[in-house]
Amino acid sequence: MAQPPAKKTLSVYLYIPNIIGYFRIIINFIAFAECYTNRTLFAILYFFSFFCDGLDGWFARRFNQASTFGAVLDMVTDRVSTACLLALLSQFYSRPGLVFILLLGLDITSHWFQMYSSFLSGKTSHKDVKHTGNGLLKLYYGYRPFMAFCCVASEVLYIILFLYADAKSTSLLNTCRGILKESPLVVFMFISTLIGWALKQVINVIQMKTAADACVAYDSKRGK
Amino acid sequence: ASTFGAVLDMVTDRVSTACLLALLSQFYRPGLVFILLLGLDITSHWFQMYSSFLSGKTSHKDVKHTGNGLLKLYYGYRPFMAFCCVASEVLYIILFLYADAKSTSLLNTCRGILKESPLVVFMFISTLIGWALKQVINVIQMKTAADACVAYDSKRGK
Repeated sequence: MAQPPAKKTLSVYLYIPNIIGYFRIIINFIAFAECYTNRTLFAILYFFSFFCDGLDGWFARRFNQASTFGAVLDMVTDRVSTACLLALLSQFYSRPGLVFILLLGLDITSHWFQMYSSFLSGKTSHKDVKHTGNGLLKLYYGYRPFMAFCCVASEVLYIILFLYADAKSTSLLNTCRGILKESPLVVFMFISTLIGWALKQVINVIQMKTAADACVAYDSKRGK
Repeated sequence: ASTFGAVLDMVTDRVSTACLLALLSQFYRPGLVFILLLGLDITSHWFQMYSSFLSGKTSHKDVKHTGNGLLKLYYGYRPFMAFCCVASEVLYIILFLYADAKSTSLLNTCRGILKESPLVVFMFISTLIGWALKQVINVIQMKTAADACVAYDSKRGK
């Protein structure tokens, strides 16, 4: 009996959203390579990569090319680019020195715990949090524009601080004062991103707690 | 033993290494070297943890069925894993301690370390070897973990 020829399937690594993912990584590499010499270019490339982040999700749905590898690649690219930007900011602003390093730690910790607890409850994306008691978390996960605002605001704030970093003054407070003396549009952007960033950090902390609780609950359900 | 404890453990390791690398990127030019290492550490461990989850394991250190020889040695012979991990951290601390406000060049600091006493030189070289092996393992781990994610999707019939 003749065997039908094996169906040739496209390797997951060649899915369009994943190729966009590789492209994002390359853009980030170039951005960080130029971050000291050309800050404007860095900001543009960083945001282009951020924009592609939304693009690859659209392509995944459009071409039915969603993949586990793609989801992890996406998440990891987000975490690493934010971590690297925060590491960069910690170089520019030495007073107070640890602020950005602390934010780096908070970002990784909250997302790691959240992803872990999502896994334990059988979800595939840390963005699929349905049963959560906390009002702010409910809003964050229930109303996507709010989540988008907080995430975008955080990144924009970091880029604003990056662009306004001055070799002469390494004080974060001085730079913020300087920004508040700029045009009304700049001040408006700064204040609104500050609000979004603050909300995101509060959500990060709440998320850590609920995710840690989920880990504990998982053990009791398993009868440990 | 608790799940929370295991995650707390893993996260503490990752964050403390990331913060140390961020610190080193402040002291040394090129700062990008340490930022790249930060990216590699997070990426490889995140992928590895994810793929461990998909295959139903609880610790990223429980890798049994792996084809790669170096990974087999790393996960099969715990003293080797311990050597690589400890060496990496010790190397970063050595670089941290020898960072000089006057010279921000990584190469100059390394040259300076190699002029120290034989004990220091020995420690530096051995940690350098362990660190290098760990980074190679990080890269291999990323690839095998990514493959596991792809395999998981095909098994699910996507």
